Amino acid sequence: MTKKDSWLVWLFLAPAIILVGVLMYYPMVGTVIESFHSTSFINPNPQFVGLEVYQRIFSQPEFAQIVVNSLVWTVGVVVLQNLLGFFSALLLNQHLPGQGLMRALVLLPWVLPGVVAAILWRFMYDPQLGLINSFLIGLGLSDTGFAWLADPNMAMASAIIAAVWKGFPFSTVVYLAALQNVDEEQIEASIIDGAGPLRRLVDIIIPAIKEVMLINFVLTTILTFNYFDMIWVLTRGGPQNATHIFPTKIYDLGFGQFRFGDAAVYGVFSILVLVLLIALYFTVQGSSRQRRAAP
Amino acid sequence: MKRSLLAAAALALLPGTALAQDQVTLKFWDNQQTESGLSEYQRAAVERFEAENPGIKVEVTTIPYPEYQQRLLTAVQGGNAPDVSTLDQIWMAAFAEAGAIVPLDDMAGEAGITAEAFFPGAWESANYDGKLWGIPFNVDVWFFSFYNKALLEEAGVDPQSLSTWEGLKAGAEKLTGNGRYGVGLFGHRGEDTVTVLNSFIFSNGGKVLNDDGSCALTEPASVEALEYLASLVPYAPQGILNASSGSMRELFLNGSLAMEFWPALEQPTLKNSNIDWEFVVGHAPEGKTPVGTYGGWNLAVYETSPNKEAAWRFIQFMTREDVNGDVVDLIPANVKAAEAFLNENRVGADRILEHLNNASPRPLSPRYLEVSDIQVTLAQDIYSGTPAQEAAEKACNAINALN
Repeated sequence: MTKKDSWLVWLFLAPAIILVGVLMYYPMVGTVIESFHSTSFINPNPQFVGLEVYQRIFSQPEFAQIVVNSLVWTVGVVVLQNLLGFFSALLLNQHLPGQGLMRALVLLPWVLPGVVAAILWRFMYDPQLGLINSFLIGLGLSDTGFAWLADPNMAMASAIIAAVWKGFPFSTVVYLAALQNVDEEQIEASIIDGAGPLRRLVDIIIPAIKEVMLINFVLTTILTFNYFDMIWVLTRGGPQNATHIFPTKIYDLGFGQFRFGDAAVYGVFSILVLVLLIALYFTVQGSSRQRRAAP
Repeated sequence: MKRSLLAAAALALLPGTALAQDQVTLKFWDNQQTESGLSEYQRAAVERFEAENPGIKVEVTTIPYPEYQQRLLTAVQGGNAPDVSTLDQIWMAAFAEAGAIVPLDDMAGEAGITAEAFFPGAWESANYDGKLWGIPFNVDVWFFSFYNKALLEEAGVDPQSLSTWEGLKAGAEKLTGNGRYGVGLFGHRGEDTVTVLNSFIFSNGGKVLNDDGSCALTEPASVEALEYLASLVPYAPQGILNASSGSMRELFLNGSLAMEFWPALEQPTLKNSNIDWEFVVGHAPEGKTPVGTYGGWNLAVYETSPNKEAAWRFIQFMTREDVNGDVVDLIPANVKAAEAFLNENRVGADRILEHLNNASPRPLSPRYLEVSDIQVTLAQDIYSGTPAQEAAEKACNAINALN
């Protein structure tokens, strides 16, 4: 590349850099700056207060609850979604009749718009009119059914189930692609050697797709940590904050209560968590590339 | 060559620019609360306004309620606010404090617009810090208790007995059982939860905030009201903490809920149903009068508007006696327009008017939305069994910490 070409490269890159800078990094930096100020809608001239807002928010029991909720939500959804995704991929990878149709059907929850899926689950969870309670009452498993989303002890689990249903096809697709790349000869050889299905799974299939699994875990963790619409539509973070996670809390503080400064603190914390997760993602991806590149 | 082309283009544009200056385009934002086809009437009213005010063109934007608050907030923060918009009564103080809207005292004084033309609570909601920040546009009151006549008859409950707290509880008890519920309570994160809570507090002579802004929820009148409300839980459908007035509607319409709390706006929906219904005007302890909680919208002019004069003319037009009733789906805030509107569109116009005149607004605080959030938690606490005194103390600690 000549020197003359280098300015051309920058010229072509400029629109992307400007867009990413203006739409992503500028607001992100703005959020960090805002978090050091006492600012809200009714206080349009922010005062620099340093770490005061952080101190106030970190000392509230609500913050600890949001951290715990986010952890339970993310771990719950990611683990279940990956397990379900992995096993449905294993099933779809068998040469069974109607496989093409099944593959298309499995994708259905994933292609539904998020809000539509959430509304669907809200109807199903309705304590009086919902499908789930009618089913349980019909089977004689319960007299009156359960208040799935209104009971602080059950709301998070209910939201997790809905999110797993919505998200598992993503993992299925990723795992299915990985499974199709597992060396057939190795599997055939192991069958000849007398390895049963479990042995084949543990000793051949899982080691072969381990890297994809790791990357998918990190990727679904990022997506789940940031997942807003399911919880917002189902419970708005309630009851009694039992399902409030970072994205719903940030929205509620900023737009629901006009408290921009407080929302910014939650936002910065959320950015830090995401930066760590993204760093993990690149580390995992980088190490798997290196391994592949090694002779 | 290029320069001469540019000059020619600029010249060609000039007459157009001059014309555009004569024509004022007013940006008016409103929330779209129901699917009643209101916008058609609003459009007709806007055409009438444009005919009466040549030179002013109105560009109407309606935004669904759930997004409206966010859109307005973003517009104000980004410097793209409309010229004039409806504002929920509970946002007025915050928008005034933020410097987003302008005081209208001088213009109202010149135009002879005074409190007398509007419902007292609605006018009060447009005033903050000694100034007038909006003109009441529409109102309603939470709540009227709508009941299913057939279910009450079957259970032998006299509808008039429901007006008192004692009667409501006894009636709710009789009406509950066999898959049916006496009364629908809701405690989700929403203003309907707060307005019902407030109405019970107001009807017992209690308050949410004292005049100095401190919390009044631990006063005996308020705590008593909270205790009473919690005592109705056994007669309500389960799932209160995530239920809204909307989810109760479905149960009322399918005949499994005997009584529900709604504003008068619910009447058109009920009229279209198969349910034979009537209503009582809220509930109060024996010897006291039920006091409702005001809801509704005011019209305000934005600080950034270059067309304040035109915006003010538009507000005067929209709240006029002969126009106000045509452009609202709640109840016109103009009392004379409301009388005509209620007689034509609602059952029990006199009772609605009386309840409107008695009603109290929610606290007029610039931090109202935070107070409201705390009150939702209070409602959820008492509905899930926390003793009223304890829940009220927790709420008051949180409210007083805001100051």
